[in-house]
Order: sequence, then structure tokens, then C-alpha cells
Amino acid sequence: MNSAFPCRRRKQSVSRRDFLWELGGGLGGVALSTMLSEAQAATNPLSAKRPPLPAKARAVIQIFCPGGLSHVDSWDYKPELAKRSGKPFDPDGKMQFFASKPGNCQGSYWPFRQHGQCGRWISDLFPQLATCVDDMAFIHSMQSKSALHGPAMFMANTGFILPGFPSMGAWVTYGLGSESENLPAFVVLPDSRGLPPGGVINWGAGFLPAVHQGTTLQTDAEQPPIADLFPPKSFAQLRGDTEQTSREFLQSLNRTHATERAGNTELEARIAAYELAARLQLSAPEVTDLRGETDVTKQLYQLDHEDIGPFGRQCLLARRLVERGVRFVQIYCGAENTTAKKIRPNWDSHEDLVRDHGYWGQVLDTGAAALLRDLKSRGMLDSTLVICTSEFGRQPAAQGKGRDHNPGAFTAWMAGGGVQGGTAYGSTDDLGSKAAENPAYCYDLHATALHQLGIDHEKLSFYHNGIQRRLTDVHGHVIKDIIA
Amino acid sequence: MKPTLFILLAAAPALAVDFDQDIRPLLQQHCVECHGEKKQKGELRLDAKIFAFKGGHDGLAIVAGDAAKSPLFQRITSTDDDERMPPKGEPLSLAQVALIKTWIQEGAVWPENVADKAAAVDKRLQHWSVQPVRVVKDASIDSLITAKLAENNLVMSPAADRRTLIRRLSFDLAGLPPTPERVEQFVKDTDTKAYEKLVDELLHSTHYGERWARHWLDIAHYADTHGFERDQLRPNAWRYRDYVIKSLNADKPYDQFIREQIAGDVIAPNDPQAVIATGFLAAGPWDFVGQVETKSDMLRRAARAGDLDDMVTQVITSTMGVTVNCARCHDHKLDPIKQEEYYRLWAVFAGVKRGDREVDSAEAKRIASEKTRLTQELAVARAQISKLAGDGLNLADIVGGGVKGRGIDLRTGNLTTGKLGYHRDIQTNRLQRIEWPAEVKDADRTVSWVFVPDGKNPVPVAAKQEVKGVPATSGHTWDAIRNGPLNAQRNTKIGGVDYAEKEHSILGLHANSGITFDLEKIRQSSGLGMIHFTAALGFGADASAAASRADFTVYVDNELKFQKLKMRKDEFAHLDIAIPAKAKTLTLIATDGGDGISSDLLFLGDARLVPEVEHSRLSAVEQGQLQQLRAQAVKLEASLKALPEPAKVYAVVSDAKPPVIQVQRRGNPEDPQQEVQPGAFAWARHARMDFGTNAMPEGQRRRMLAEWITHLDNPLTRRVLVNRLWHHHFGQGIVTTPSDFGLGGDKPSHPELLDWLADELLRSGWSLKHMHKLIVMSAAYRQQSTSHNDTASRLDAQNRLLWRQNPRRLDAESVHDAVLSVAGTLNPAMGGPGYRDFNFTEAYAPIYDYITPDKPELLRRSIYRFVVRTTPHQFMSTLDCPDPANFTPARAQTTTALQALTLSNNEFMLQQAKSLATRIENETDSRTAAIRRAFLLCLQREPKAEEQSAATHLVAEQGLFALCRMLINTNEFVYLD
Repeated sequence: MNSAFPCRRRKQSVSRRDFLWELGGGLGGVALSTMLSEAQAATNPLSAKRPPLPAKARAVIQIFCPGGLSHVDSWDYKPELAKRSGKPFDPDGKMQFFASKPGNCQGSYWPFRQHGQCGRWISDLFPQLATCVDDMAFIHSMQSKSALHGPAMFMANTGFILPGFPSMGAWVTYGLGSESENLPAFVVLPDSRGLPPGGVINWGAGFLPAVHQGTTLQTDAEQPPIADLFPPKSFAQLRGDTEQTSREFLQSLNRTHATERAGNTELEARIAAYELAARLQLSAPEVTDLRGETDVTKQLYQLDHEDIGPFGRQCLLARRLVERGVRFVQIYCGAENTTAKKIRPNWDSHEDLVRDHGYWGQVLDTGAAALLRDLKSRGMLDSTLVICTSEFGRQPAAQGKGRDHNPGAFTAWMAGGGVQGGTAYGSTDDLGSKAAENPAYCYDLHATALHQLGIDHEKLSFYHNGIQRRLTDVHGHVIKDIIA
Repeated sequence: MKPTLFILLAAAPALAVDFDQDIRPLLQQHCVECHGEKKQKGELRLDAKIFAFKGGHDGLAIVAGDAAKSPLFQRITSTDDDERMPPKGEPLSLAQVALIKTWIQEGAVWPENVADKAAAVDKRLQHWSVQPVRVVKDASIDSLITAKLAENNLVMSPAADRRTLIRRLSFDLAGLPPTPERVEQFVKDTDTKAYEKLVDELLHSTHYGERWARHWLDIAHYADTHGFERDQLRPNAWRYRDYVIKSLNADKPYDQFIREQIAGDVIAPNDPQAVIATGFLAAGPWDFVGQVETKSDMLRRAARAGDLDDMVTQVITSTMGVTVNCARCHDHKLDPIKQEEYYRLWAVFAGVKRGDREVDSAEAKRIASEKTRLTQELAVARAQISKLAGDGLNLADIVGGGVKGRGIDLRTGNLTTGKLGYHRDIQTNRLQRIEWPAEVKDADRTVSWVFVPDGKNPVPVAAKQEVKGVPATSGHTWDAIRNGPLNAQRNTKIGGVDYAEKEHSILGLHANSGITFDLEKIRQSSGLGMIHFTAALGFGADASAAASRADFTVYVDNELKFQKLKMRKDEFAHLDIAIPAKAKTLTLIATDGGDGISSDLLFLGDARLVPEVEHSRLSAVEQGQLQQLRAQAVKLEASLKALPEPAKVYAVVSDAKPPVIQVQRRGNPEDPQQEVQPGAFAWARHARMDFGTNAMPEGQRRRMLAEWITHLDNPLTRRVLVNRLWHHHFGQGIVTTPSDFGLGGDKPSHPELLDWLADELLRSGWSLKHMHKLIVMSAAYRQQSTSHNDTASRLDAQNRLLWRQNPRRLDAESVHDAVLSVAGTLNPAMGGPGYRDFNFTEAYAPIYDYITPDKPELLRRSIYRFVVRTTPHQFMSTLDCPDPANFTPARAQTTTALQALTLSNNEFMLQQAKSLATRIENETDSRTAAIRRAFLLCLQREPKAEEQSAATHLVAEQGLFALCRMLINTNEFVYLD
């Protein structure tokens, strides 16, 4: 371990527009839309910025599986665990997991097979993703600093187990701005069953300006895609031309007001924001309108399937968003724990892993495989980094018919965006209990993702309450082994 | 030590080595880059004498007179490439090595020069913010601002006009716009003291406290829920919020304000306000799952570590602006704060936990004793009633088949005396017949069925009989239905009566379980006719268990007779249910309240079937007595119900014996190092930083810290406070990092002014209102913000020198409040529980669904909003309302399309625009007047001619509503000049 603590801090005041790279060349190479006024350009933190380093990926789609996806039943092949199945896991009886004492060793509930040219082992839980394995790169040695859903979710998203820190999407938006002047730069598609553990602060901007927070897109086809995009039904008369007249009145007042206060660029920026809002009213419904998609595509994502369809729709929307210049899309495959009825609303399979992972496996398998194939066939996979992760893994020991939380090991995978398919990094011990070779944390995953986007994770920073903060805190190494 | 090659220099002549000529340049050239002022690898410095002889992380580097024992020499001569210094480039030459050897052997003489002496002084100790506050004589805010401007050949801008001033001042001090009438009065006021009168009026308005409490709660990261995964309610947190408002309105001296918030419960335990003040320490987020729910001690230690860090950071950054939290994993990298000092602060709070506590212990005691008295009287009355009316049947006894402690296993129907645990895999909604042991007589076999309800209605409760209205449940259960306390039941008291005592009985009925009694058989065997079911219902979990809810439902046949939903563990009830003579079954069901079965240890005290009195059996006197006793019991029950809950606040819960704190290596709770004692850090050297030993009582530690922070000579506390006031009055502080006065923070733009203000604060007896008045009365504050001055803009674009006032945008709360205010819908009610503009669903992780506030009780000032951590208020957070996980000394400000959408389309805005239009229509009688009124209300000015005509068109086409809607969207509405 490195004994130095590179908490770097900047000794200068924070200006109101504190959006500069610490070392990365400032706002250089701003590629600005002609639709934005010059005044707005000076203050618009979402102006597209050229990545400081050569970038492989332009956009990120992150699939998050909350609850704790079991690596030993899916991506991480552990023949020794199968052999020891039914034998004591903790003969001394001294261990205590999050909610239980370990039961006996429990081999994977699904058999593993080798797939693709790379010959990687994938379990039968993911038959469709198994056919994409030559495009996927696995990090088998992921670890978390918490065995609790809330803190571990925060860590996976923000690098810190406490709430209040910016999520990766917010950092990326802060670093690179938006390429779309008609859509938000960071869009989140929550599970149709509800929000994940920890709620919306999983995609919050933390201490970064709120403009960088994720915008939740309603995945329900019946709802307007963005909150307050249009007046509510109770004010249904506010549509079309009358809105145009009202807006013109507003803007004329605003322009007179700004003229009397020459030099205050914030006023100009706010005028421009109202123009952008008007454009968003056209562009956002267009994204969520799937009528233009072919039947083949709809079939691929199984949109009509009662259980799989909603997630398929999230994945298809993610592709459409990226197509339209959105920088970062986060998809949730699972919601918050509730007092469960039959099937858990996420991957947190304490009592019946076959039942719950069986259900969710089918959902993830179909949607994610469709997304990879779709992106590839459209030539978008090269420039789109797809990441799939969970907040932690599950124990190789049984907890009844389920498994308890395991922060010591889990698997994340990436595809596209300059990632070398068919590769793997790190490994767990024989049972899949703890990361063994090349242990990794979300810091490394984040550093690698930023690297693919052309950002040095050590240089993307923001001053907050005395500390020059980073997504990767004082940690993080780019995982070169899985980069093409 | 790795093998070291000793270069044999024995033959070399002993040269006289001159340190300054031979050694110092060597060190400078080869060592100081990594072992100097900038970098200290291995914590070793070789650039100055004092450090060189102090050594580094591994101990001494130079042992005078013994080169072989000097690590410095060992390292430059090592043959191990990883060990040898310098690490890059060629090793030192033989001659150089020889020089160093000789120098050490000869005693390592290092004559001290100027640089050595300078390096010995820790410059960080000379940092401006820790120097004593200077007394600046014959100065004022304006003289100091003007002087600094003059140094740069600049002058202040002219004073703003009165309309601008009243708008600025009203939002600044009260957070609300002035009424058109007040604007007109002020503009026309010819009194030379017109402005001062306005200032006094606003400072005396209760709105002042409501506005400025917001700023303080931002740095206390206050909210009304826990945060993290199970984001539960803190229904008693609001009393602390009210305390802040009241304290500010009363102009409580700032030092007292701080002392109370850190140790009010110790300083004035009998003053409810002082106790409430400690809500400050509990204001931040708290992880229920990590602190309580998990079974892993390691996870619990990690959660507690986060908790203590949060508390220490909050107290020190808010009051002293020192980023002490940077010393959690290592010594502070910029400020001279040692890791051990940081953990000394942990020791101060080691015995502090967050939780609900009674505000007024005397009052709480009075209520508790009254409760006990009433309950005892009730028990006596009940006992007399049953003496007269007959005892009836004890249901607990029936359940246990006459044996205390025995219960019915819900899975098998077997009677068991063994303790059972968690049943997850039990078949729900299935009737289980009881397997009576042989010794129970057939006549006593009067329980017909038991079952685990899963809330899927209808629920079968007996053969061919189903009921509706059973709450949804998890379908899990615990232990058995038992004659006596349940497994893990800690509490056996209900309303002060202990049902574990001999003359009483307990029927344990953990959620989720149901039991059905066969009334026909009971009547046959007992001869009872009309009967009552009477019992006390309570929670068997003790007070320290997790907050939990449970339901209890009673059916007679399929008719719902009693239901108490989402009962808290501090609640209880007395049941008295009349059972008709023809009824066949009595069913009791305990369910989990929708939040899982943890801690749902429900039980019934003295559950009985008592006979309706057969009047013929009793004499007339006895009948009279019975009637009287029954009336008395009813009255006592009513009195019990009417007893108030003792007032509580979410604040400090003190642990009498705080654990000893150890330094945590690299901030890792699993790697404890040396023990520390309560204290503070030495950097601010105004008072003793050692508070005492670990034998010190918990409260005393906090009291010492509170006194240390508010010490008259503490250089930071007063500076930090006046800078915060300045920040909010000018949009930026004299120091632009209001919570970081360390070496990583900003330097003051006007150091003398900062000290003058800090000194003035003391002279005024720590009066915030005095400081506000001084600041807003200054010419600097009253300047125009719209002045255009190219020279000044070029020289000082950020306006640090204050050549004009700063234009400012309203924060989310001010926009919200201003909209209500102009619409005439603002409900001015002060204080009390926060308004909840959401639907709340109790669940493992509770669900908060926001609604559009449209009732007066929801249209209050935003300071009274019930703030939910994990589900931020979309309207507010879109307008940059910060996440209360963070300490927010300065609000961020963004301009986004989503804000434009929210302000123009959100239902709240539209409804308020409608109210505004209605209000104006009621107040005016022509379109022209209405338009004029709309401008006056929203923008505090008349419309210009062209605005009047554009507005006339808009109103003609779309009505007054459209104008109102757009006016509260204008830049002018959300910006202050």
C-alpha cells in the first residue's frame, strides 16, 4: 500500500463559476452550439468540453443491479465451491455476516459453461449475455467498504459510503458537459417498481452544482418523460400558441431587465434556459416515443413481456438517449427492498435465491444482451461504454435457500467504449468469498471509465469545504488489462 | 535492515569536514527534493537542523559520532536498489559518502544558520486566522471598505434607490418581499431615519428568525428523517428547528447559542430550551441499518465511526471554520492538526448518541406518575368488577392448556414449552388444528385454530369462515402463541402494570399470528352466557429496541370488532368487547404493521372472557356498586387517554460511561492505535486543549468543548461568525470559504474589517442583531449593484473590494415563500411540527410521495417544511436547495432548463399564479389597475409604459392568470439588485 495521502487541495478562493479543470486546460476547446448565446456560453457549465485526454468512449450506459447480485451464481466460476457444497464454510463458527451466521458451502444454483472464442465461464443464469461474452470484460475482484445496501450503493455510485457526494454521472457531466443542447447530459432510468435503496441521491450532484445531477426520465409510457415538462392535467389549457405568447412576454420583460444591467451574464443565461426548456418540450417526448422502432427491435428487447418488458424499455431508451447525444445514462435493474411478497423487488436474495435471481436473471439477461447487440449492430458499441455492476456480491455460504451480503467480492463487467472484450481482471479465492488477486474497488472501475472518456481521474476535482474532492477520493487505478 | 555495504574507508585520511561547505550543498542537491519543506517522504526533512536531528517515521536518521548506526549513512551506502538513497540517478560518489561518514563520525556538527532558524518556526502557526483578533481603533465598515478601494483608486457606487433598498433588505432580513403599501410608505417617508426605522422593523419581525434559521440549519445539515437506506421519520426533530428560530428572534447572545447547542442539557438541565438546543448535535444523517439492524459488530463500528466524524466535523466547521475532519486518516495535510487531536474531539462526543429524549424531565415525570396512578386505580376497579361479576375465563390459560410458559407452535399445532425463533417458511393463511396433549381435558380444548395471516384477504379464521380487513403482512412470524412472555420479550408492563406478576397473566401473540377460540364450546363448558372480552394490549419490546409498528385486530365471527393499526411500541390499549350470546368464534390477530416482524412482540395482559352480570345473582347494593365501578373505570380510561405525551426532541442521548477512544490508523475502525483523552487541537492556542481524563463524565466533556469554542480569546469563533453574516448580506464573505479558515481556505479581502467586526461582536455582548444592523446600515451595503464601471470590472471582476453591492438570486426557499407571499396564500403560522407535503407509506424503506400543497396547513414558510433526506423535494432541489447530507455554508447556484420548466409548469406555481390572479381581481376594478397591482405585488414597482401595453395584450388574450404566471417567472422576481 502506498503510504502517501495525496489529498491535494487548492489554495485559492472558490469563484462562483468554479468549473475549471484543476490542471486539465480549463474550458479550452469549447464546442458550442450556435443556439446558445455567447453570454450563456460564459456561464453555461454544460457546454460540451473536449476531453483532456484521447477518448475511446463518448457516452456511458451503466446498468446497476441493486440488492447484491450473486457473483458465484453468475459470472465467477468456482468449481471448488461446487465440490465443497454442503460442507461447513466456517468450521469455527466465529463469523458473522450482515444478517446471519454462515451456513454450509453452497455451489452455484446454475451450472457454468464456457462460451465464445474467449472461452470464459458463464452460468446458465445468463444464456443470452453468454453469447456476448467476447465483447465483455469482467472485473472479478470487486470489493465494497460496506455490507449495507444504503452505504454500499452510495459507494458504488459516488466512491463514498456516506450520502452527499456526487455520483459518477454528475462528475462526468461536470467534466465533459453535454453534447445535446436539447436533452439533459445525465439521465437516469429507475426500475418501474420503484427507486433503489438510498433513493434519488444515488444520482445526485452532491456538492457539485445541481445542474450536474441526474435527470430522472419517466419510463412509464403514459407519463410525460420529465417532471414539469408540461403543465399538469389540471392546467391542460396551457398548450401550444398561448404558451408561445406568454413566453415572448416573459422574455421581453427579461431582456429589458437585462439591458438595464449590462454585464450580468447570469441574466442572459436564464433567458437562454427558458429557450432551452421550450426545445426540451419537443425533444424529450420524441426520445420516449418508441413508435418509430422496428418490430425486430421491439422483439429484441421483448417490450411486450410483462416482467421483462419494462427493463427492455429502459435499455432501449438508453440506446435512444445516447444516440441523441446524452452523455451518461444510468439504468436500474431492481428497486428498494420492501416487506417482500413473493419475489424480492431487487437482487437481495436472502431467503430464496433460485426464485429471486431466477426472476431478475431473466430480466437482466434479456435487456442487457439486447442492448449490447443493438448497440453493436448500429456501430455504437465502440463509442459507448456499457457498465454493469451491483453494490456488493453474495456469500458462497448458504443462508437457508438464499445467500447473505458479501462486500468482500463481486463481479462487475464492461463492454464497448474501447474495452477489450473476452478479458478478465482479478480473481476471488477458491470459494468466491474474498477478492484474492488484484483486489479492486469502485475507485478502479470509476478511474477506468473516466479514462475511457478521456479524463484523468486524479485531475477531475472540485473544491468543497476545505478539500479538493475527486470521484476516486485518494484512490483508483486505471485497469489497463481490460482496455483494448 | 537490509544488508548494507560498508565501504571501507578506514585508510582514508580523517579530513576536517566543513558542514556549510561540504555537507549542506550535498544534502540540498541530493536529498531535499524529497525530504524538505515541500515533500517529507518518510516524514523526514533534511533541509534544516531541527528536522534533520528529529528524524523521520522510522526514528533518528543521524546518530552523531556513529555513521554505521545512522540510517542516513546506511541508506546512502545500501546495495539494495530499493533501499539506497537517493532513489533516482547515480548513487553518491565514494568521495561524497566519505565526507558524510567523516562528518557523522566527527559528531555531525551542524552550525545553525538563518535558514535553519526560519525553518524551525512552523509558519502554519502564524496563519492569519489563528492570530488574536486585533482591536482596530477609530474605524467603521465604511472607512475600512473605502480605504481599501482608495488603495486601488476606486470608490463606492452610489446608494441604491429606495425601492431597491426595501426589496433587498426585506429579502435579506425576512426572506420575504415587502408589500406594495410598505414600499410606497418607505419611498415617500421624509424622515431622515426612514431607512433605520425599516431596518429596526425587519429585525424585530419574527420573520427575521425564520429567515436566518435557514442559514444556520444549512450548516447543521438539519432534516426530519434519518437518511440512508431506512429513511425513517424523526417526528420530534422540529423542536430544535423552532429553538433556532426563537433564539435568533430573541437575539440570544451567540456564545450562549453555541454553548447550548453543544452542552445545553448539561449547563441547564432544567431548562427545556437548553435541552432542545442539543438537537444540533443530532441534526445530521444516521444509519439505522448500520447502527442497529445489522448483526455484525464490525459494520456497527463502521457506522458509529461515521456518526462521530459527522458530529465532530459539524461542531468544529460550523463554529470555528477548521476542516478538522481532514485529520481523520492522517495528520492534516495543510493545517497543523494532528490525527490524535482529531480523535481527542471524538472522545468529547464518545458518549453522545442521537435519539428522542424528553424535553422537560420534571414534566415527563409528572405525566408518568399520573399515568401510573390512573392505571393502578383502573386495575383496582377492574379487579373489583371481576370480583362482583365473576372472573370468567383466562384466555392465556386456555392457550397453554393450563401450563404457564407453554405455547402453541404455529407450524404444527403442537404445544411446546421450548423457545422458538424466526419462521420464514411457514405456510400462510392456512388453518392449523391444535394437537392437544392427553392431559388437557376435552372441555378445555377451546382453541380451535391458529394461523399465520399474510394479508391476502379474505383470511380463513375457522372452518368455513373467512374475514376481511386483515392488514398486509410479510407472512413471517416468531416464536409461538404463548401463555406467558414470548421468546425475547423484554417488557411485560402495560401502562405501568406488570402482567408478569402473580395475580396477572400474559398472552403472547407475536406478529404475524392469529388464534380462534371456539365460543360455543366455551359456553358449554363454563355455562357463561353473554360475555365480554377484556384485555390490555401492549408491546413486549423494550424502549431501546428499533422503532417498529404492529397491528392488532379482533373479530367476533366474521365481524371486525376492534382494530388498532400501526401501533408504536410506546402505545397501548384497553379492550372491552361485548360478545353476543350467539357468537361462535373469537379471533385475535397480530400483524406486523407493514414494516416486517422485527420487535413486534405484541401481548395481551389479563385477557379474559368475563360474564355479563346476571342481575338476579347480585343484590341491589351490589348492582349499584357494580354500576358505579364501571362508570369509574370508564372515567379512568378517559383520563388515561387524555394524558398528554411528554414533549420530546430528537437530540442528544447521553451514555453515562463513554467508551475509550483510540486513534484509528488510516481512519480504519478495525485498526485502533493509542488511546486518547477528551480535548481539542493546539492550533488555536487560546485555552487549554486538554479537557481531562477518560474518567471525566460525558456531559462535562461537551461543556468543556463548548467553553473552549466560545472562549473570549478564541480567534476563530467570532471571525467565522461575522464572516457568515457578511456572506449572507453581500453574497460573498470577506473570506469566501466560510467554513474553512485554514491554510486551504481563502484569505480575507479585508482583514482589518473582519477583526473590527469580530471585536464589535464582543463589545455588543455577542448580539447578532447589533451586527446585522451595523452591516445593513453601512453605505457599503446600500450601494447600487447595477453600477457599471469598466475599470473596476477589469481590476476586480469578483467585486472582492466591494465597489458595488452584488446582485443576488433568491434561493429555493425564498422563491417558494415569495410566491406564497405575493399570491396572498402564505399561512404565517409559526413553529410546531413540519408540514408534510407528501404521502407517507410506512415500509422497510418508507416511501415519500410528494403532493402539490394546496391547503393552508401546507402553505407555510419553507423553514417549516418536513425535510426528507433520501427523497429530496423535487421543486426545491431543482432550485438548488442542497442535500442535507452536506454541510452547506454557501448555496450553489445554477441556471438550468429544468428550473425554467419547474417555475413555469409545476402545479404549485400554477395554482399560486391562479391565487394571485384571483387576489388581484378582488383588489382592483379595471384591467389597467390589475396590471399595475400585479407589478407592484411581484416586482415592487409600477409597470413601464411598454410593459403596461404588452401586459394589456397578454391579459386581453389569456387573462390575468397568464400575466401572474409570467411575472413570478421573471428574472426580476428571482434576482435582487
